[in-house]
Amino acid sequence: MIYIGAEVIISPLGDTAEDNWEALSENRSGIVLAPGVGFNKEDIHLSQIAWLNGPLRFQRLVIKALAALKERIDASILTSDRTMVLISSTKGALDDNLHDQFGETCSAVMQQFNLAHLPVVISNACISGVLTLNVAGNMVEAGQYDHVIVIGCDVASDFVLYGFQSLFAVSDKPCAPFDAARKGITLGEGCGAALVSGMQSVFKDKPLELLTGTSANDANHISGPSRTGEGLVRCVGRTMQKHGIGTEKIDFICAHGTGTVFNDEMEAIAFGRLSLSDKPLNSLKGYFGHTLGAAGVIETAVCMQMMRNSMLIKSLGYCDAGTSEPLNIILKNEPKKLRTILKTASGFGGGNASLMIRDL
Amino acid sequence: MKVITAYCNLRADECLVNGKVVARREVGSEDSWFKQIYKQQAWVYPKFYKMDMLSQAGYLASELIKRANPGISEAYSDDEIALVFANASSSADTDRRFIQSYEGGGSPSPSLFVYTLPNIVLGEIAILNKWYGENMFAVLPKFVPGFYLDYSRILLASGSRALLGGWLEVTAGSTDVFLFMVEEKESGTEFNEENLLHLSQTVAAY
Repeated sequence: MIYIGAEVIISPLGDTAEDNWEALSENRSGIVLAPGVGFNKEDIHLSQIAWLNGPLRFQRLVIKALAALKERIDASILTSDRTMVLISSTKGALDDNLHDQFGETCSAVMQQFNLAHLPVVISNACISGVLTLNVAGNMVEAGQYDHVIVIGCDVASDFVLYGFQSLFAVSDKPCAPFDAARKGITLGEGCGAALVSGMQSVFKDKPLELLTGTSANDANHISGPSRTGEGLVRCVGRTMQKHGIGTEKIDFICAHGTGTVFNDEMEAIAFGRLSLSDKPLNSLKGYFGHTLGAAGVIETAVCMQMMRNSMLIKSLGYCDAGTSEPLNIILKNEPKKLRTILKTASGFGGGNASLMIRDL
Repeated sequence: MKVITAYCNLRADECLVNGKVVARREVGSEDSWFKQIYKQQAWVYPKFYKMDMLSQAGYLASELIKRANPGISEAYSDDEIALVFANASSSADTDRRFIQSYEGGGSPSPSLFVYTLPNIVLGEIAILNKWYGENMFAVLPKFVPGFYLDYSRILLASGSRALLGGWLEVTAGSTDVFLFMVEEKESGTEFNEENLLHLSQTVAAY
């Protein structure tokens, strides 16, 4: 069995999974209006960490997350040559060193925590986080490592904001995933981390079970979602089939839900084709914004908190149905025992990834 | 056993397929090096001209591998070929060009922005071939055969039947591209660290 636990979330909502959980259970969002930050000095809604300023923001956030995770596990595994650290990110330390966006952070993390191996970076746009958790589970399952720590991190930058503005993809209000009036994304920054291991004993608190999934490309467009949801359908279908889990076993879906018209529509079509339309579903982008390479790890960590606290969290920003296929979007927090959950991600480059987590 | 059935080395001045030179850079040409190869091969895929250098490199090398190994696409169903690529500098060259688009008084260029992610090349290859398989892009300090060996073992044991691996380092100062196809065959160049390292350093036979 592959275990996942010791989750860490650092976001505008707090520095621990528990602080973030408290904010989510009160439906508080990290998104605020940032004055004059747009390319034409527009005010833009962002989810930014207030204390995260100055140089080396990416490196500091990754180190802070790993230090927090270390407190939640048998710390002796950190220096073992049977332990690997994977970092999931899109733009890394771009603002510090354009030409080497990850190297300095990987070296610094290795040195500070006395790791046996240099961390490996996985960079697959918005599916990076879910994909990296799957890579971690696969590495443990194949016996390549006993323990794999996954750290998903991206920091806000003019680069990414201006880029999404140039695509007219930034919402002028806090993002509203799956809502009829959704107008685009809200960018966020943050860091999530978790330990994936074959040994339950290395977790200080009880872990959950990671049911690793697959990825699939849409083979459609590098920056536009598929009209048919083909890649997401194939990826989720294969993930469920791999573990012999039918639709009746899925208690909740944590969707990607960026808040763009076409992404959310694509997901709704895919979930319809998968006969999953009636499952309680949310997007967490209304709380954290879109944290890109961190999103899959942060959102999976929230799923784990939802399972631990037996609570469905409202899909913030959603009011009216706005997709051609119906979805069962969570309108208010609701206590519910969650045995098996599905997490999905889709992104630029046509990537789709999914995983499942099961209660022990 | 797992064997390397075709490979392509694309460097600053020459392009080799299975160890044989298929193109040499014409120094005086008005066309970029990648455009020279594209034209010489007489391919018709206008999207090529929109791609950044990383995607152009991936397009050229993967098409050359397909040409050297005809029937790859027919031999597998559309989600059985996994793509596992890596490089050292992510999309830094295109990132720099995107920054220049808005720092010099202009507006941020959306057509550059969409290429500021290293995995876009995987999407381009998937779109071209209608491949719906597994994709992964890693950023590593240097080409490490063990990385591909380890991850290929996992993919080839869980649904994927073939793998297109790639090291794609294309910056303003250097071109170091190595793509290779891994398939299950009874004989051939075994897919192991030694062979992979050796083929990545293939020198043209004169």
